[in-house]
Amino acid sequence: MDINTYKAQRAGYYKVLGGLLLLTAITFIQPHMFLQNATFGVQLMIGAVKAWLIVMYYMHMKGETLIGWTVVFAMTLVAFFFIVVMVDVDHFQNMEGSHITSQPHIEVDYGHHTASHEE
Amino acid sequence: MSHEYVPEIATDRNGKKHEVQGWQGDTYGGKLGFWLFMLTEIMMFGALFLTLTYYYSLHHQDFIEASSHLNRLLGGTNTVVLLVSALTMGLGLLKMRAGDVKGAKLMIYATIILAFIFLGIKAVEWTEEYNHGVFLGLDALQSGNEHSRPFGQILFYGMYFTMTGLHGVHIIIGIGLMVWLLKRINAGKVTTEHNILHFNIALYWDLVHLIWVFVFPYYYMIGAGHGH
Repeated sequence: MDINTYKAQRAGYYKVLGGLLLLTAITFIQPHMFLQNATFGVQLMIGAVKAWLIVMYYMHMKGETLIGWTVVFAMTLVAFFFIVVMVDVDHFQNMEGSHITSQPHIEVDYGHHTASHEE
Repeated sequence: MSHEYVPEIATDRNGKKHEVQGWQGDTYGGKLGFWLFMLTEIMMFGALFLTLTYYYSLHHQDFIEASSHLNRLLGGTNTVVLLVSALTMGLGLLKMRAGDVKGAKLMIYATIILAFIFLGIKAVEWTEEYNHGVFLGLDALQSGNEHSRPFGQILFYGMYFTMTGLHGVHIIIGIGLMVWLLKRINAGKVTTEHNILHFNIALYWDLVHLIWVFVFPYYYMIGAGHGH
């Protein structure tokens, strides 16, 4: 690597650092300054932009066709599972017997009489 | 000390010597293989984030309440520490490729120091939480006693300690890999021309950073602006 390429790439690293620091600052001020009702979504959007910068420039994914598509395929699979599970959550039908919802109502059959308690 | 590439030599049963055609000569193969490994990591953490999102949708208010009690100053400091460490690791690789081996080693040392700072801050944070009675195994995170937190908070803290703990394990592994990298550089096995090991360890460190980019908002920021 010649000195000019080195300097150009180093300058690129510092620019990305600046972008990431700026986005981190926005992460901190957002819940107090704007879109307070959508903090969860906004925070994840900022995270996604930061992730894109890291993958493209720090992880040298820019210009990598084969590896790039491999990553896209894996991320699509993860996204698919996310969507399927979230749709399932929207139609949750087992609140009473669930162990991941609060205070499930459990019926315990002791033969002749039934005890009922809450966890 | 010489930093020239030293080929590995294998001797067959007839005593004839052969140069080992290993991973050092196959940069693209090494890179692709390591990306495949990293995708398994992404899917593992992806499943944890999915679980977290699922619980969040069921216990929205409990999650926001629990998140508002986490120390955002320490979490934010760790975010910046990791961000700078990703830069030093990347600059180290650039220096190695440009022929500045000493500079590359200095950058790796700087990254190791930043990794220890991250772990130190995390230890302070966990100690603070333990002193407040919030830790895995303590009454507050067990259901059915007088100190029990609301059920959603128990899930939140369970996931929080699991995921930040798993991330911490990755940081410790990263430190081990960087120490190993320094030994390989000193032994002349990683050089300006043959630096795929350096490249892949830098990739690993970026992955550790990448995971934190989502861990931080998921745990620390969703409860920001809610009074604590």
